[in-house]
Amino acid sequence: MEHILSWLIFLPLIGAVLVLAAPAQMARSITWVFTFGVFLLSCALFGPFLDGRAWDGGYGTMQFEYAIPWIDVGGFHIRYHVGLDGLSFPLIILTTLITWLAAWASWNFEHWNVNRGPKGYFALFLLLETGVLGTFAALDFFLFYIFWEVMLLPMYFLIGVWGGPRKEYAAIKFFIYTLAGSVLMLVALLAMYYTSADAVAGPGTFGLIEYVTNPAIHEMFNSETTTFLSWKFGPAMFVMLFIAFMIKVPVFPFHTWLPDAHVEAPTPISMILAGILLKLGAYGFFRVCYPIFPEAASQLAFYVALLGVINIIYGAFCCLAQTDFKRLVAYSSISHMGYVVLGAAIMTTTGFQGAMFQVLAHGISSPMCFFLVGVIYDRAHHRDLNRFGGLWLEMPRYGSLATLGFFASLGLPGLCGFIGEIWVLLGTWSAPFTWAKPMAVISAFGVVLTAAYILWMIQRVYLGKRKEEYAGFPDADARETAILIPMALLAIFMGILPKYTFDLMNGTIDRVYEIMEPFTQVAFGG
Amino acid sequence: MDSGPLANIWMPGGEELAKLAPLWGLVGTIVAILLAALVIGRNWRVAGGVAMAGALATAWLAWQGLSRIDAGWGGMAPEGAAPMLVVDQFSNFFMLLLAVFLAAVTWLWFMGQDADLPEREARRNDATEFFVLVVGSAFGMALMVSTTNLLMIILAVEAASLPSYGLAGFRKKNKLAAEASLKYVLFGAVTSAIMIYGASLLYGHYHTLDLAQIGRQISVQGPSVLMGVALFAFMVGVAFKVSAVPFHFWCPDVFEGASIEVTTWLSVVSKAAGLGLMLRIIAVVASELANPELLQYVAMAIAIMAALTCTWGNFSALWQTNMKRLLAFSSIAHAGYMLMAVAIIWQPSADGASGALSPAHPAFSAIVAYLCVYLLMNLAAFSCIAFVYWSTGSESIDAFNGLIRRNPLMAIMMIIALFSLVGLPPMGGFLAKWWLLAALWDAKLIWLIFIAVFNTVISLYYYARIAVAMVFRDDDRPPIRAPIAGQLIVAACGIAIVLTGTLWAGKLKEFSDHRSRDLYAVTRKAPTNSIADSSAAAISFDVPDQVKGGDGKID
Repeated sequence: MEHILSWLIFLPLIGAVLVLAAPAQMARSITWVFTFGVFLLSCALFGPFLDGRAWDGGYGTMQFEYAIPWIDVGGFHIRYHVGLDGLSFPLIILTTLITWLAAWASWNFEHWNVNRGPKGYFALFLLLETGVLGTFAALDFFLFYIFWEVMLLPMYFLIGVWGGPRKEYAAIKFFIYTLAGSVLMLVALLAMYYTSADAVAGPGTFGLIEYVTNPAIHEMFNSETTTFLSWKFGPAMFVMLFIAFMIKVPVFPFHTWLPDAHVEAPTPISMILAGILLKLGAYGFFRVCYPIFPEAASQLAFYVALLGVINIIYGAFCCLAQTDFKRLVAYSSISHMGYVVLGAAIMTTTGFQGAMFQVLAHGISSPMCFFLVGVIYDRAHHRDLNRFGGLWLEMPRYGSLATLGFFASLGLPGLCGFIGEIWVLLGTWSAPFTWAKPMAVISAFGVVLTAAYILWMIQRVYLGKRKEEYAGFPDADARETAILIPMALLAIFMGILPKYTFDLMNGTIDRVYEIMEPFTQVAFGG
Repeated sequence: MDSGPLANIWMPGGEELAKLAPLWGLVGTIVAILLAALVIGRNWRVAGGVAMAGALATAWLAWQGLSRIDAGWGGMAPEGAAPMLVVDQFSNFFMLLLAVFLAAVTWLWFMGQDADLPEREARRNDATEFFVLVVGSAFGMALMVSTTNLLMIILAVEAASLPSYGLAGFRKKNKLAAEASLKYVLFGAVTSAIMIYGASLLYGHYHTLDLAQIGRQISVQGPSVLMGVALFAFMVGVAFKVSAVPFHFWCPDVFEGASIEVTTWLSVVSKAAGLGLMLRIIAVVASELANPELLQYVAMAIAIMAALTCTWGNFSALWQTNMKRLLAFSSIAHAGYMLMAVAIIWQPSADGASGALSPAHPAFSAIVAYLCVYLLMNLAAFSCIAFVYWSTGSESIDAFNGLIRRNPLMAIMMIIALFSLVGLPPMGGFLAKWWLLAALWDAKLIWLIFIAVFNTVISLYYYARIAVAMVFRDDDRPPIRAPIAGQLIVAACGIAIVLTGTLWAGKLKEFSDHRSRDLYAVTRKAPTNSIADSSAAAISFDVPDQVKGGDGKID
């Protein structure tokens, strides 16, 4: 039982080895079975999070925790330490679900791959899942970094080999941007390790939990007198880590890799990229930046929030200007992730809940949108918004599901997108900052823009007169419907009964808030 | 009686000679290759086979030495005189590395005999000379890391360089090779001259050839301009071997012009020997210094040189299209990373209170670990280049187009090696870089950390370019045939790279900690001609926490 989480992490790796060993025509079946198996296994972890056992104890109470020394030499104590709490568990479920659906979406592999066998694709696909699950589960910062980097190579090749016309450019851009961010994380990793060693006057630690729960370390990290290259330690680390994570989210001005990567990547990879990989950045905020450096976070709250608002508005305006269907969805991701940044920045319980919820909601709606784009691209072989029209008439089932998916993304009340956005906006409005209310108002304006570009897009693509060009397009087949249905149901479920989603994470978010509270009180004068 | 350390005529005993077993192994190999040519005739199989056997025997002897030697031994000199040769964990480790790599390169050479190359006949005819030169340079490099005596250092550097010049120009009918050899000789001659000049200044100023005594003398007399000039000039020769900027100009040309086995050979061991020598010099001189802060300026000079070497190498590599040339610049960049660790040895240690050097400075161990992984990465990468070259006759990056289809195993291993060179987890290259960065942090050289990680990002671009050619581009070139034995070596390297980054990470660190631990602690017989009172230069040999640790406590 103590190994169940490790099995979950490394099962896809075993699958990857199997894919390489088995004949090529079995690759996609093996991948489907393994991703589905991993999804089922992750569902087996629901227990403690449903009955509330997970919320006993303070921050750092982990479920399915497992730790052994990994590199324990030369004064370094690097551990293989994994565990789940309310921050990571919902994201693990999201990962296993979306990866499974994306594996299914790869079923028509032979149609869109050029002249490559499926082995490499599916092996990398599974390797990617190991990297993502490992990052979400890792509680040792060193291990976190390793898994974080493990994701890079598979993603690079998945975009670069199986992508669109400008795949090489998109792949290397993605790679260099992310690596540039992660070397900053590497420097922070070193700095935090050695500073924690100073704090306890003994061997340092890489424990992401110990950084928070060990009072000596936490105090030293947030002290005014601790320095890094003559800057204050907390803000310096916060900024370096924030840049590393914001590149992944992505936050303006480091967002430019995302539209390229998304547009060039094949549909299933776009689903994973938007649904899961962006969430790693947000998870980094919640797990690393905010609990460990609340002092710096409260000092820099304005700038972080400003970046979030820029993301919301700028992303939405970019969407309005797009003519490429997939690019529009890509920019809408930037806009939606802005709410996550804003919700985190204001450091209130409501904000954090909203941000986490938005992470999950976007994790459901954006893969759905990308898959919807993929379905139509498979048939029309172009993505020009202005050439579409009247598709609902040709493909009624697809059209209905598409409308649902895009409305979820739009934030229509009753669907998942609404809850996250409104929670963030409410949190921002009530946040104890003078600048909070104007920002809430500006962000609310983003909701209008979102409605504008989505409705305009729906009008251009799905409504209107039947077009000769698209006559006789087959409706969504059983496989496509089966992939869309789980996401559609979850979008409705999360929109109507958000309580059950909040219940999975609130216990931990309350603990995180307790950590941040003293610092926000000081910063805002009570 | 004090007319210099060379005045005593003294004969070593059998016990002392036995301690030098790996060196004997290399000398014996040279003799055996020559005798074999005389007795059996000029046969390439015999020459290569003898070299291989000799390399393996040397590796075994060095391995035996590693497990036998505890405290280190400085000897080959009469009782009471400064030692001519030093045998310790570090020198044995280095000779092990050298011998293993020698065996690998010989293996690679054998693989190349099947290739349909224009120079195949010449390669076979000159096999004897080839291996005499290779093993000869190996012997020189082995000496480089086994001595603390100025004269021996110069002899060792020359013994390593002269055969290398010959090796660089070994493809006699090739213009590039001729150019490479000439450049190498000219550059080597000039830097050697400067080095010998520096050594003569040191000898003239301090009246001793022993580095330890020079260190003591510096403590007593204090720093001077002459000391700075002499040390700098002396270090030029070493920097040439390491190919540190601005003494690197020979490197790309030689790597491009020489045959692939020679390039492989030089890319790892020539740099490793230079670094080993540099570490040895620094360790011995610095451990005798009463206040190592004296040499802060030298340390800063090396740090700047390291930063330049690394950045220059990486930026130059960005636009290369010849694979050997590209990896030449990459090797310059990696020499830069390793030089960073050299730079921090003269920095006061982290606790900083006493300013005394800790005998197990993390930098030593970082370099040893880096060298181990670097050997694997370069062996894998160069072997792939070799197989592609032998089957296509081209060393251009385009020759790699579509390698993932033409030879999947080799392409995957090459990708592992390349991204390990970038320093990406979970490959060993990352762990190697990590220990290096940790050592830099210990010395509070944070600007160097930023330079190192910035360079990592730069280097990604050109390593990825090779991956792009191998995986993204495919223009229907025929498959690459490679012998099973060749694939085996590449696959073994690739797997070892991944293992050193994951499951063996701790083992590698433990190994390198142990190899470098007694670098300072060479037990030396108290020299009679010591001018300074040795107690004035007493160094505290407190073992720092890093070494003591390992209680494995998990909280």
